[in-house]
Amino acid sequence: MSFPERLVLRCGPVNAVDLALFAAASGDHNPLHLDVETARRAGFDRPVVHGMLTMAYAARLFTQEFGAPRVRALQTRFVGIALLDDVIELKANLRHADCDGALYELEAATLMGTPLASGIARIAATA
Amino acid sequence: MTDRSRVGFTTPASTVAVDPWRVRLFCQATGETDPTAWAPNAVVPPTFLKALESEHFSSAALLKLLDVPLAGVLHAEQAFDIQAPVFVGDQVEIQRRVDRIDDKKDGALTFIAVDTRYRVGERPVASSRQTILVRNQVAST
Repeated sequence: MSFPERLVLRCGPVNAVDLALFAAASGDHNPLHLDVETARRAGFDRPVVHGMLTMAYAARLFTQEFGAPRVRALQTRFVGIALLDDVIELKANLRHADCDGALYELEAATLMGTPLASGIARIAATA
Repeated sequence: MTDRSRVGFTTPASTVAVDPWRVRLFCQATGETDPTAWAPNAVVPPTFLKALESEHFSSAALLKLLDVPLAGVLHAEQAFDIQAPVFVGDQVEIQRRVDRIDDKKDGALTFIAVDTRYRVGERPVASSRQTILVRNQVAST
């Protein structure tokens, strides 16, 4: 069983259609993610990317490599805010691997370098 | 300040169908282009469970119950533990519980932790924990 040391995925730029689709798909219709005026009132220049969209991208980092059945745990702490038009980069580093599976540390950031999320993923050795 | 009397509030369990169209829409929205991801009997993407959760009892509905305006709310943390795969076509029973409400920084911030359990039939398949951050100053403007 081999686990890559490093995984990388780049997503976006996140456009208005992505945010509208994700609002519909996720059931999170908070206008903070869809409406410029609401975002401004909350102190942001542009609509805010759903944290769960960033986390879904983070999940893709692992599902594209190992398949969805092997992803057993995913945890993220959201430390920053991505906005409409941002490119989001996901990176994971292998922290531990044994015969049961692997633990990765993950980071999400905008291409401009704003940290968005950090967390861990646990991957099983087999589906 | 957020009403602490709601700590322990538990939603009545309900069952949500993992409809293929919903998984497909989720994949489309998250840039997942592999068609096997939403095929019949495919294992759903890990964070799709959160989308099912909002069909059961959304965080927006929970916040309304707690009298927290959405305006000052951000998602602080999210964790999923998956014990068994959830498949396209499954019927998932979901229940959520408000586990903690904590004020920080002299009440400027409130953290609300909500736990969710997912079952298929009698079998627990996953659990999740969402921590919601309320910026009380933004909420009140």
